[in-house]
Amino acid sequence: MNDQRREILQMLAEGKISADDADRLIAALSRVPAAPETPASPARRSYLRVLIDAEEAGTPSRINIRVPLKLLRAGVRLAALIPPQALAKANEKLMVSGVPFDLTQLKPDQLEALVEHLDEVSVDIDSPDAKVRIFCE
Amino acid sequence: MIPQLVTVRVNRFRIWVPVLPVLLLLVPAVVVACLVYRISVWRALGAGWRILCALRGTLFDIADGETAVLVRFR
Repeated sequence: MNDQRREILQMLAEGKISADDADRLIAALSRVPAAPETPASPARRSYLRVLIDAEEAGTPSRINIRVPLKLLRAGVRLAALIPPQALAKANEKLMVSGVPFDLTQLKPDQLEALVEHLDEVSVDIDSPDAKVRIFCE
Repeated sequence: MIPQLVTVRVNRFRIWVPVLPVLLLLVPAVVVACLVYRISVWRALGAGWRILCALRGTLFDIADGETAVLVRFR
């Protein structure tokens, strides 16, 4: 019995409303869709899992990696410690290799946002010689 | 909380490494490295501490044919 129905019956019992009024109110309640219950927030996922089962030349191989998402976040903060001179040198090497990527433009907030949404990632690859699953749990 | 133990297994060989004593041995080396490379010691130690605390539960288990390597942080 929900609270509103209980209140109506309470008012009827106290004589504040007539039986007809109570009947109309209860009928009105059943017409009004119940307010959706707040869905329980999904349990926050803590680990990034990588599972790979492969077979190469008849030799099975298996990779099972479990990394806490907190570790990725902590690693992002560690990136902020890299001195600017080191970033500049890394940029030079990337340019020479033909990768036009500027590491100095990478901000910890952006990486933090990336890690934040990582718990929605789910990759499932099924091929005859390999199965790859990447997901968060 | 930092992990208490690291289990490393390579094929049939297995060792258990207690984290805290190893950490106490490594901290002076880290401090010296920070001074040499002119990195803020406190920031480096703080970042390292955060990473260490986040390591608990990490698992790497790789098996390829007859070779198997397992590293687990508990």
